[in-house]
Amino acid sequence: MRRAPALALLLAIVPGCDDLQGFGGAAPALVTFDVVATGDPGADVVALRVAMIWGQQWLTEPICILPPDTAEAAAAISAGCRDPFGFVPARVAANADVILNEPTTISLFSLPAADVMVGDVTSRVAYGSFVLYDDRDASGTLELARPHRLGGREMGPPVEDQVDGADVIYGASFVSMTQADQRVAFREGGFSLAAAFYPRSGCGEPLPAFSIVAAGGFSVADAIAATARGELPAEDPASCSERTPAEAVVTIPVRPPAEVAEVGCEERRADSSIRYREPPVDAPDLTDRTAACAKVVDFGSGMAGGASQYIISGRATDRCKGLSHYVLRGCREDAACALPDWDITATPPAWWPCSP
Amino acid sequence: MRRISILLAVAATSVTEAAADGTLLTDDTWRYAEGGALVVDAGLAVAMPAALPTGLATGVGIGMAHGRGVVVGARASWVTTTESSTVWTVTHSDLRLRLTGGLERTAGRGTVGLRLGVGGTVVHETRLRNQGMRAGLMGADLENAAIALLPAADLELVVGVHVSGHWLLELGGGPTLEVLAGGAHAGFGAQLGVGWRP
Repeated sequence: MRRAPALALLLAIVPGCDDLQGFGGAAPALVTFDVVATGDPGADVVALRVAMIWGQQWLTEPICILPPDTAEAAAAISAGCRDPFGFVPARVAANADVILNEPTTISLFSLPAADVMVGDVTSRVAYGSFVLYDDRDASGTLELARPHRLGGREMGPPVEDQVDGADVIYGASFVSMTQADQRVAFREGGFSLAAAFYPRSGCGEPLPAFSIVAAGGFSVADAIAATARGELPAEDPASCSERTPAEAVVTIPVRPPAEVAEVGCEERRADSSIRYREPPVDAPDLTDRTAACAKVVDFGSGMAGGASQYIISGRATDRCKGLSHYVLRGCREDAACALPDWDITATPPAWWPCSP
Repeated sequence: MRRISILLAVAATSVTEAAADGTLLTDDTWRYAEGGALVVDAGLAVAMPAALPTGLATGVGIGMAHGRGVVVGARASWVTTTESSTVWTVTHSDLRLRLTGGLERTAGRGTVGLRLGVGGTVVHETRLRNQGMRAGLMGADLENAAIALLPAADLELVVGVHVSGHWLLELGGGPTLEVLAGGAHAGFGAQLGVGWRP
């Protein structure tokens, strides 16, 4: 019994160790990437940063890839359609400051959410791009922009009031499938070589978990030919690589902002569907826009009955390209619907320039 | 399991004795013995984790005490809990060791006492980085462990009720205090169990 008080005293005076952290302490990054930005964006840069952006599975609207009806339509499509093979952002995952031509690390502290992963839970993948930008609004992150589309009659206000962020994009590691790229891959489970989500046919599978994969890109002509054969366009195997994040250094060359601005443009619709609008009574403001009449796309089925649509691009100064679609008869989702939401073919607005 | 077996044996003995004259319960069924100065108890324990800001740890406890009126003894309990934040899943296992002293008063079948315990709490911590396995983390980046001994003290209100023979129902609980990282961490602990006073 003599030992008991001594033990109690010992227990009382031994200080608690500081090893316990509970929920505290620094959270280790789930992955860290090495990035180098090369080139010179000019003297007016405010704060150069790099963002890691997860990509969205996206399909362009049909009129953007079908042969145009007229030269005017071709001009409007050129002004209003983004690169159908381009990287489309879904979510900015991380940002880091960059010093040109010096290695920079950028870390992720959370995994990509299920909505940016393609596949099922036993086999899915997400791809991301590193985007070099000037953080001119000093928000610390890249603000994604959206195309500005015009409003319709009694269909809500136009989205002209949205203001593009001030950030300027100077480069990206993954701009388009038609260009050489280095991209982040996050793979869970197996990998389907037949998957058409930013495909790298001919290259190896992304490594499990995080990896940096690269490909040389394919031409538009090769993509069309491969699609006609029911295949994915092939990459040059010599241009492919799959490396762990620790092994790879991602290089982002500085480019003119006009060449890479689209990597910061998110899309409302990812399934190639179109929102049609009823033409307003007053003519839309076409200042700095390109507009043309074009046939409603029905892939030769005749369901559209040869109806016309009026397509209007965004302003040339907008950060993102987009088309607004007006039809005299139709529904919001389908210009060839059997029971139209509106039909003003008999009383088109005075400014309507197209045939019914 | 042993505790349950003992309880079942006690109950079976009582029922067998009662059944001898055709009745289920007799005056002898709940007859108890005062017993001596030693009491041993064990039971289920709940407590706030010693070094986590949230959660309710559960486990088991055991103790012994000696004396009438003025009581001294020793207690030990082990409780564990797992809690999560957005980054970590943390498991704490607390081994609470106390030397106790207190006062008790007998009232009929029952005893009511106030017990002060002084000693230490050994805390074992494991932290698992959430999403780490999916991200391919390994080693210390994925999971780490630590152990610490925290000076601690408890103050408990203890109630014991003689049930049958030498067996008691024991209930105790009250505030606890641990010294953690130079500061005091207050909590509470409680135990419900069975006592044996031979």
